[in-house]
Amino acid sequence: MTGTSFRLEDRPLRNAAPPNPGRRLDPRPGEVIDRSAPLSFTWNGRPAQGFEGDTIVSALAASGVRVFSRSLKYHRPRGLLTASFHDPGCLVQVDDEPNVRGAHRRVEAGMRVSAQNAWPSLRFDVKAANQLVGRFLGPGFYYKTFIAPERLWPAYESVLKRFAAGGRASAEPSHDSYDKRYAHVDVLVAGGGPAGMAAAVAAAAVGASVMLVEEEYELGGHLRWGGKRELDLLAEQRAAVDASPGIEVLTNSVVTARYDDNWMAVLQRSVFPGVRERLVKARATTVVVAAGLIERPYVFAGNDLPGVMLSTAARRLVNLWAVKPGTRAVVFSANAEGDAAAADLEDAGVEITRLVDARRGENIVRALAARHGAARRTGLSAVELGDGSIVECDLLVTAIGWTAPTSLLNMAGDRPVYDPTAARFRPGDGLPDSVFVTGGLLGDGTVDELVAHGSDVGRAAAARSDARSVRQDRSDRAAGADDDAGPARPAPLPVVPHPALFRSTTHGIVDYSEDVSSKDLIGAAHEGYESVELLKRFTTVTMGSAQGKLETVNAVAVLAEATGRTIGETGTTVWRPPYAPMSLGALAGRQFEPVRRSPMQGWHEAHGARPLVAGAWIRPDHYGDPEAEVRNVRTNVGIIDVTPLGKLDLRGPDVPLLLNLLYVNKWSKLAEGAVRYGVMCGDDGVVFDDGVTGHLGPDHYVMSTTSSGAEAVLNLVEHVLATDHPEWRIHVTPVVGDYASINVAGPDSRALLGRLAPELDLSPGAFAYMQVRSATIAGVTGCFTWRIGFTGELSYELHVPADRGLHVWEALLDTGRDLGCAPFGVEAQRIMRLEKGHLIVGQDSDGLTSAYAAGLDWLVKPDKTDFLGKPELAWVAERGGPTAQLVGLQPVDGTLVPPEGCQLVEGTTIVGRITSSRMSPTLGRSIGLGYVDRRLASAGTVVSVRLPDGTETPVTVMADLAHFDPEGRRLRA
Amino acid sequence: MKARFPQRFSAWGLVRHGLTGDDWPKVWRSPELRRSYDVVIIGAGVHGLATAYYLAARHGITNVAVVDRGYVGGGGSGRNTAILRSNYLTPEGVAFYDRSLQLYRNLSSELNFNVMFSRRGHLTLAHNDSSLRTMRWRAEVNKVAGIDSEVIGPDEIKRLVPMMDTSDRTRYPILGALYHPPGGIIRHDAVVWGYARAADSFGVHIHQNTEVTGIDVDVSGGTTGRVRGVQTARGPISAPVVVNCTAGWASLISAMAGVGLPIITHPLQAAVTEPVKMFLDPVVVSGTLHVYVSQTDRGELVFGASVDPFASYSMRSSLEFLEELAGHVLQLMPSLATMRVLRQWAGLCDMTPDYSPIIGVTPVEGFLVDVGWGTYGFKAGPAAGEAVASLIGTGRVPELVAGFDLARFDDGRLVGEKGAAAVGH
Repeated sequence: MTGTSFRLEDRPLRNAAPPNPGRRLDPRPGEVIDRSAPLSFTWNGRPAQGFEGDTIVSALAASGVRVFSRSLKYHRPRGLLTASFHDPGCLVQVDDEPNVRGAHRRVEAGMRVSAQNAWPSLRFDVKAANQLVGRFLGPGFYYKTFIAPERLWPAYESVLKRFAAGGRASAEPSHDSYDKRYAHVDVLVAGGGPAGMAAAVAAAAVGASVMLVEEEYELGGHLRWGGKRELDLLAEQRAAVDASPGIEVLTNSVVTARYDDNWMAVLQRSVFPGVRERLVKARATTVVVAAGLIERPYVFAGNDLPGVMLSTAARRLVNLWAVKPGTRAVVFSANAEGDAAAADLEDAGVEITRLVDARRGENIVRALAARHGAARRTGLSAVELGDGSIVECDLLVTAIGWTAPTSLLNMAGDRPVYDPTAARFRPGDGLPDSVFVTGGLLGDGTVDELVAHGSDVGRAAAARSDARSVRQDRSDRAAGADDDAGPARPAPLPVVPHPALFRSTTHGIVDYSEDVSSKDLIGAAHEGYESVELLKRFTTVTMGSAQGKLETVNAVAVLAEATGRTIGETGTTVWRPPYAPMSLGALAGRQFEPVRRSPMQGWHEAHGARPLVAGAWIRPDHYGDPEAEVRNVRTNVGIIDVTPLGKLDLRGPDVPLLLNLLYVNKWSKLAEGAVRYGVMCGDDGVVFDDGVTGHLGPDHYVMSTTSSGAEAVLNLVEHVLATDHPEWRIHVTPVVGDYASINVAGPDSRALLGRLAPELDLSPGAFAYMQVRSATIAGVTGCFTWRIGFTGELSYELHVPADRGLHVWEALLDTGRDLGCAPFGVEAQRIMRLEKGHLIVGQDSDGLTSAYAAGLDWLVKPDKTDFLGKPELAWVAERGGPTAQLVGLQPVDGTLVPPEGCQLVEGTTIVGRITSSRMSPTLGRSIGLGYVDRRLASAGTVVSVRLPDGTETPVTVMADLAHFDPEGRRLRA
Repeated sequence: MKARFPQRFSAWGLVRHGLTGDDWPKVWRSPELRRSYDVVIIGAGVHGLATAYYLAARHGITNVAVVDRGYVGGGGSGRNTAILRSNYLTPEGVAFYDRSLQLYRNLSSELNFNVMFSRRGHLTLAHNDSSLRTMRWRAEVNKVAGIDSEVIGPDEIKRLVPMMDTSDRTRYPILGALYHPPGGIIRHDAVVWGYARAADSFGVHIHQNTEVTGIDVDVSGGTTGRVRGVQTARGPISAPVVVNCTAGWASLISAMAGVGLPIITHPLQAAVTEPVKMFLDPVVVSGTLHVYVSQTDRGELVFGASVDPFASYSMRSSLEFLEELAGHVLQLMPSLATMRVLRQWAGLCDMTPDYSPIIGVTPVEGFLVDVGWGTYGFKAGPAAGEAVASLIGTGRVPELVAGFDLARFDDGRLVGEKGAAAVGH
């Protein structure tokens, strides 16, 4: 395993120095940390501290840590970039959990946090040597080398595998659990910023039930890291949300996907202690998407150095966690957010050495790393500006524009459109009328304008929801056309012109998770990967942890530049679900796959039965010695629990019509009190199921099916009755769980049953083979029993009300003790049915076996008007029958049992196969069933069977399928 | 014939380009659309491109156009889970997929493009005695054909996949598995690009964004007619041979030529997780739990399942798929609960009645099909391309695909691969 080589050293790390109080600012008005609640955790094995409310990364940043991971390919040190969930350099391992978003996850006492992708340590990483040869490792370099000699490729591959990113998957199951919940809401609001909150409040005000989902731990969006005015508005809006009883707020939760008809997946994180995540599945009548905007990084040389971050990251660090991101900063700003970041930094005591204003045509060219000293390899030391000057700094903040996270809109069918004025993709006009957009995702405006728009949209969404519900309830649906249902969509928000900034004059990283640079992208485009989808697949750009939220637009811009097209012409990739990653645990929820148990299963287990998982059921395989069980049935009497057999109660005058259609044989003349064996085929003439059906009383039948086919037969019957013959007067009720079923088999079965059902005349003349009787058995009324013989013995199958099953089972054993009555399991039954040559559908037939191939010619009645599979079977017959035939087989060496599945061969040509084989305790030799080519199917032919070890042994084709009592004297006794 | 590339790929080439900073030559060109070709292939996926490549390389037929309505490899070739194996159930299937696997193994050097075939071994788990019996059946068929394939027990499974819960305390205890050591995974996009580049180097024209809107059939001579060419969104193309190498829309394309196919199209979904360090070497498949999983060289887990139970041309994803998939993966490897799904998607599968493909001639002279691949299309690409090229080049149906003709549905010679199909990836 290559994973074992990944180990972080425990030596003290200079970059994980003890908490540096100098980085933590004096209390900020909007801070989310609780300074009265310090917490201890470990970072790469070293103690670290933070406060409640800190994220892992804010706590570490407050202690002076600047590097949180190494990059995928070149193992370059990576620091904070966005200080939010999608921060690509801040994925860490927390205890057993890999890929934890360290810039989002709140720190908890005792957490063991470590860096990923670094060996032997974060500070000194040997794979960083890749940086030296980076120029040779362009995108897709692996496609161009290691080609020859091919025998060496596995060795190269094992090296490549060591570069797999991410943390370590846990080897032990977690003790935490996961949960699911259904929700039905009128309006689901995705995003709890000012517009989202306003929409929720407005919708609730007119009576809608609202679910308001916010990705972060508190409502507020960008108001939270704003100034006094924003904080005041935040308090006001939160109060309004709190005062609205119709709003359910889910924080630290994210709407991950929208499926057809507003089936919404909402991932709720840290629900309660012990429940790690919960998947809320919400059917929302309308959805308001208020996901805001994501700040876009700028592409320039050195843009991934620790110390280079986005303006929102700087503002969040300062205002939410009171962390000073640096001491000397250069701010590159193209918008008000950048200016605000500069002001915040200044306020936090950071020296702003230069404000580079993109709106005045100023630019930054490259970020320079420290060449010596403690900061070596780990951070920024200076910035080269567009005018050629070099400014020393340890913090570079960029504010060059936004990406609209349109994922949920795309999942609703919309395609984003590039707007050159706003320099970003914006929602198109392809939304269904049940999905609304508001806030920054839609357009620009002051906070007040966003709030006003949010309110309008919230009201419209509530009204539309109301109209949709009314329409669904209304009986005269014809009157409800879609377009008259509800008010018009509020006018979209305007856009404010924004400089179009994507890449500087230098090349830098476009995809931080994947280590893909603008130079790589241009090279790939020039090489012919000119479609954005091809570019993505070839370079892996946007395929990392943020799935393009930070990277896509820059990648498209670089591709547009490389191909001489506009960004609009270049287009964008399809955003696929989920918007944010979802754990397998949350998706799975609590495992709920109950096992079906017959009323006697407890008894079986108490008496040493080996359990057999048979589809939905647990059954007794055997009680220790299946061959002894066989001998006992053949000489005395045995009982087997056959409760899982499918049972359908059929009532009504037209049941014979149904039976005639389903089964290949004739059913119109089945007398009351009689039972018949039948085989069902699909439309393709392939054997589908078999079983017996009994005529219990006037217009009353019970059909039995195989255990595994019970559900499929019920579905077929319901399908026939619902679609093909709705005019038939038939009620069908599955009654598998209503009856416990026990087969009493063996020469003494008549004597045994006689003792428990004294009023039932069991004499062969009165109750013959293939008949059914209602009965009182062991004092239990409401039973019925039929005489059939899967085992080949005289046998009665008892069907008793399920709650009395155990009583009857024990009564049979008690009463039959002197007769040698003993239980037998599935294995003994299989041996006996094989001795008798009875086929098991699915074992002795496969997905192409026609009723003729399975040796059921005697059953098929082509003269019937119609039955399922008739045309196909007629067609098989017309062409001279099937190509292979089911036959009885006996190895010439009777001590040898060729395993089921072995092939019959002539040289290297396959001429058949063994479907069933066992040692027969009754005959004292091995026996089998199998298919052979028709030309070999005559009795006495000897064919070679190839054993698993490659040797061959001869087997003889028998005259009958039955190896034992082919005349059926015993079961007719 | 060997492909003549403007520049061959090699370690030395990487070094030279690294030093000079020069661009690599175009992986394939963007030629003008001619009005006439010898062969028009519809669908620029692995089947269409492999067919074009083998036509040129083996049969010297280079006046060939591959047309696609989207970009190269954007359909099933880019959406599958890239699993390769040859442990099929029928002798026909085994022989065919073994040929494909052979071609795949040597594809990197044949195409001078590293397709990153990763031999991992392939485990098909059995959770009940009936599937264990089918595994034995498959193993025995495979061994007759000389394919490395064997049934192994829970201890051996645990050794190969330490994360697997092989205890008997689970809902569906693992009783054994069919182990097929030559199976593995491959970089599917690289296969497509490699074929495209090699075909292009012979002069084959690849036309992306060229949707076929009609097929011209001349019915004057006979009852079912002869193909004359295709209509595309960029104008008509005449050709005496037209090959339908599409998936998802195979029956619609064939209908343009008046050829009906017994195909029902179902969506097939897949998903991928975030990467973690390598821990899963073999490809693991469970039919009972309807799931298959492999870990790529990048560290991601790639998941797939059975086709959706309804017919549709929609490629939308569903939440139910992820929920069921996750539940089943955790039954196999319960410690993976904290791993996260990063992305889900869907593709289309053309299902035939016997789960085997349809290759060869149709009642319309000159109109050939290479379709109906169900969930097996990607694995089959090289062998199918080779066979179709051979059919065009020699006029004779290769023995390897003789059983997969369209006429078998009229003659009752079905090739039942269903037993290997229930999530048999």
